[in-house]
Amino acid sequence: MGHDVMEMNKLPIHELRTLLAAVASHGDQHLVEVESDLQQTAFLLNEAIEKLSTSFMKIHDLIAQQHNLLTTSGQFDEAMTFALEEYQTKIGDEVNSVVTGMQFQDMTNQLLHRTINRVNGLKELLQELAEHGYDKDANREHEDITRFLASIHETLHSGSHALSGNLRKAVGQQDMATGDIDLF
Amino acid sequence: MAKTILAVDDSGSLRQMVAFSLKAAGYDVVSAVDGQDGLNKAKERTVDLVLTDQNMPIMDGLTLIKNLRELGSYQKVPILMLTTESSDEMKAKGKAAGANGWLVKPFDPKRLIEVVQKVIG
Repeated sequence: MGHDVMEMNKLPIHELRTLLAAVASHGDQHLVEVESDLQQTAFLLNEAIEKLSTSFMKIHDLIAQQHNLLTTSGQFDEAMTFALEEYQTKIGDEVNSVVTGMQFQDMTNQLLHRTINRVNGLKELLQELAEHGYDKDANREHEDITRFLASIHETLHSGSHALSGNLRKAVGQQDMATGDIDLF
Repeated sequence: MAKTILAVDDSGSLRQMVAFSLKAAGYDVVSAVDGQDGLNKAKERTVDLVLTDQNMPIMDGLTLIKNLRELGSYQKVPILMLTTESSDEMKAKGKAAGANGWLVKPFDPKRLIEVVQKVIG
């Protein structure tokens, strides 16, 4: 009986360590997948924008050449020349719109890398959680567990705070409307 | 003779869009991939205007501006920031560093050209 009471008062440090290690391991597995998907997304977006930009530039050049060919041929009357100029203006407006739209990759890339950095920070926190308490003596008194858990909480809190501080949000845009201009 | 603009941005697509817009308006464009590259290219030649991003690896835009302003040949050259950053705090830092203007991305090519023409003609 006396032996049982002593066993009950012993802290389940070993079980707690096992639990923390399991939580960290499962969390890490998911975060590895998240990081991989985010990197793949960033890579695909980069490839897509490169192809789109190259094709867009070529189309723009070809339209300009076609326009020059038509206007210098001298085969059009005044009304046709006017119509061609109108098309040129409309094409110019659309070109401007495409140039604005294509800047999405710069912003999404920044957001994706910020997210990847946050995932990496979270992985480090989980690693810390798994390693926390390895130096703890399994025969500690019950009240020590409160201090032990408080210590884990403090470690996670300061780690999380440091992570947020290092990841200031540089992209606040919610849509692709053109930004403000200030001249000093 | 066409005026030369140094465009600094770590995003390849942004460099491409900026160069496309400025060249279409008749400017020569020298591109750089980060602040350090921009500083090196600025030292190799004198440009008429610098257009720089803020958040870049190796050297950011504000540091580039401070470095350029320390060079005798760049004390009066107009420098514009073109960045996703839009807070008043960052704009104040830009102004204090020596920037002449702040453009928030995404930019409209027509408005960009209007600003450039206003600044350097």
